[in-house]
Amino acid sequence: MTRYLLSRTGQAALVLWAAFTASYVLLQLLPGDSILIKFQNPELGLSPQQIAEIRAYYAGGSPIGDYLRTLFGFVTGGLGYSIDTGTPVIERLAEALPETARLASAAFLLAVLIAVVIAFVASYSRTSWLRGALLSVPSVFISVPAFWLGILLIQVFSFRLKLVPVIGGGELQQLILPVLTLAVPISAPIAQVLARSIDQVYAQPFVPVIEAKGATRWWVLWRHVARNAVLPTLTVAGLTFGELIAGSVVTETVFGRAGIGRLTEQAVNAQDTPVMLAVVVLAAAVFVLVNLVVDVLFPILDPRLKAAA
Amino acid sequence: MSPSRPLLTAVMLTVVGLLGACGGGGAAETAAGDGNKPVYGGTLTYLEHQPPTCLYLPAAGFYPNGGILNQITDKLTWQDPETLKIEPWIATKWEINEDATEYTFHLRDGVTFSDGSPLDASAVAANFNVYGLGDPELKLPVAEFVNNYERSEVVDAKTVKFHFEKPSPGFLQGTSVIGAGLVSKKTLSLPYEQQCQLKNIIGSGPFTLKNQIVDKEVDLAARKDYNWAPPSSQHQGRAYLDEVKIIVTPEDNVRVGALISGQADMVRYVQAYDEKTVKDAGFQIYAEPTRGVNNGLYLRPANSILKDVDVRRALQAGTNAKEVVDTLFTASYPVATSVLSHLAQGYVDLSKELAYDPDQANALLDKAGWARGADGIRAKDGVRLQLGVFVSGPQPLSKQTLELVAQQWAKLGVKLEIRPADAGTQAVDIKNAEKTAIQHGMVGRADQDVIKSHFHSQNRDVILHEDEKLDRLLEEESAEPAVAARNAKVAEIQRYVIEQGYAIPLFEEPQVYGAAPHVKGVAFEAVARPWFYSVWKSQQ
Repeated sequence: MTRYLLSRTGQAALVLWAAFTASYVLLQLLPGDSILIKFQNPELGLSPQQIAEIRAYYAGGSPIGDYLRTLFGFVTGGLGYSIDTGTPVIERLAEALPETARLASAAFLLAVLIAVVIAFVASYSRTSWLRGALLSVPSVFISVPAFWLGILLIQVFSFRLKLVPVIGGGELQQLILPVLTLAVPISAPIAQVLARSIDQVYAQPFVPVIEAKGATRWWVLWRHVARNAVLPTLTVAGLTFGELIAGSVVTETVFGRAGIGRLTEQAVNAQDTPVMLAVVVLAAAVFVLVNLVVDVLFPILDPRLKAAA
Repeated sequence: MSPSRPLLTAVMLTVVGLLGACGGGGAAETAAGDGNKPVYGGTLTYLEHQPPTCLYLPAAGFYPNGGILNQITDKLTWQDPETLKIEPWIATKWEINEDATEYTFHLRDGVTFSDGSPLDASAVAANFNVYGLGDPELKLPVAEFVNNYERSEVVDAKTVKFHFEKPSPGFLQGTSVIGAGLVSKKTLSLPYEQQCQLKNIIGSGPFTLKNQIVDKEVDLAARKDYNWAPPSSQHQGRAYLDEVKIIVTPEDNVRVGALISGQADMVRYVQAYDEKTVKDAGFQIYAEPTRGVNNGLYLRPANSILKDVDVRRALQAGTNAKEVVDTLFTASYPVATSVLSHLAQGYVDLSKELAYDPDQANALLDKAGWARGADGIRAKDGVRLQLGVFVSGPQPLSKQTLELVAQQWAKLGVKLEIRPADAGTQAVDIKNAEKTAIQHGMVGRADQDVIKSHFHSQNRDVILHEDEKLDRLLEEESAEPAVAARNAKVAEIQRYVIEQGYAIPLFEEPQVYGAAPHVKGVAFEAVARPWFYSVWKSQQ
């Protein structure tokens, strides 16, 4: 197990380094640079000569030296300064991260809850129209644009019914609508995979054996089928993490939340390279970490995988 | 049914949360007492469209930045937004020598920055040294509103004198703009990155920073000991409001919906198509003029197609600005009648020269040798009459405007290629007349120098010209001390720019705000940034 963990961690570090290098190179290849974008802004009204002077001031040494310096910075936690706002990137991340973490984790939990309810009720139900209706819910959910859903929820619950404020209000109140907005599309793939794998497990020969022993429907579903159906679902749930981040860009903009999504959007707009690089590496780190956790959980949940590990 | 227990719990929690939320919102809209006597206290919730960026003062042109800096800094002088006259503020009086190369300001006594340091002659001198000369060491760029600056001289604690290499008649107005906000020496000693951050901007204004959540919210608190408003302001002493909450709300319909549903008191950037909704709900629309170079298309003579003045004039004649305004905008956006707004200093009415005349446009293009091809697009020597333009992020409905103009031009056989506003490509291509033949933009400043900012080859240079005559005219304008002569020069420049087909003015761009009926005393500076100092709420 220790060796397995070590080798997986090593792989994770390698993936991170590759993500850093690839995005560093790609960002260098983009047309223009953040200094140009910033100082060429007509609001500043600088002459071409002044812009050239500022660029010369900011320009680093050789490309390789720059790369190594930035890499060293990332390893030691120094992520440089945002060119757009002048704040250290680490500060921006420290402010934005908890905001997104709250949103994403609450939305993830709600999404799992919705998915489990849909899949379980559909599998448990004997009424075929209800089952059909429930199983078609995920396809509806996944095709709802987060943008549209967010606006709709705000219009109905905040502006018309005046139930939750979008402006002001406590942290909890401010979370309700964005969490719903983000959870709905994410619940869809989880619900689909869960429902499908429950069906597959039901088809396996051990189920009639348990039923023959006199177990109730609920007992069979909960104690035996669901336990076995959870593995593929877990993989999908891990993968939806990427969607959580992508969805939060839209959700945070609609709801005016200052999270990673908004930060990324603005950094891209201003071509704020240090911020963009940090966000890419952060996203990669989260992704790698979630997959690492999923991989480590697998053998614990399914003893058969232990031997392979 | 134990599976639904978590669901039930969640639903109940949500309902409880919702009920709890109900309590706050229901303040009755009844008019208690008379609504005309200002009252102290309360918080103004103001929704911004975009988050502020770098708050280094000369960068205050960006509206979200100006909206904050205008509350926390004071200026040497005050420009009356109606008459555009320059009045005393921190400077009680001033003398300007005949050729406008020396300005002496006498300062008000007892003004302090919010860090306790005095706003005296040496502080003012330090401010303008930075704005006039920049600071390479601290990476501070110079400010656009100061021309020909040489040095400052502290005559005594209450008197400061500025020297200029050449006449600088625009300087007096320059001391009244938001970018000339005075900050403490501590702020000035910081490098550029630090001066970008709001927490480091220490001014002497009626509000100070209380709390900031970057990209989301800025809370300003009234300074209780504030006692140096412009003498011409009716209101004196501390601001009426206790607090201003500036909350970034990027979504247009969330901003307007929040205003109308009572969650916000005032919003910036009401889109033209939302104005009616706001008015119908009994709310106020403030469409504040920006009094500068109009929203328009600026044509670049360095482009190989546009180097022909006939082509430029053809596009000018073939653009129907009125249709743009009627289709996309409202009465808040007057159709342009010159390069400058009709409220700008030195404006001349050129509506005749700018009349829509598609026949003349076609004739000019024929004359220039551009013949229609099979696809309806004109061509000459195998080159199609196709021109590139970027969607301009800061301009309202820029994409829609350009699309409409593209339709008008298509009728002439001209293809307008509209590119999305991607900052990177734009930064590179916008300085390339071949790739970006046309620029969509405007600039607001209530001084004659605004036209120089827009067109001079050493300033914004929107048309990327090498027209020596234009540069010379602009330099003469900015160095002309006599007002009448200066306005005449501005008129000459407007005529010249239109004659040369450098500009296709579309409309006079306002800043459009919406406010609840209980928000009183709403005021703006000369180019439409809000001033919350005398704002009060009629019912709490």
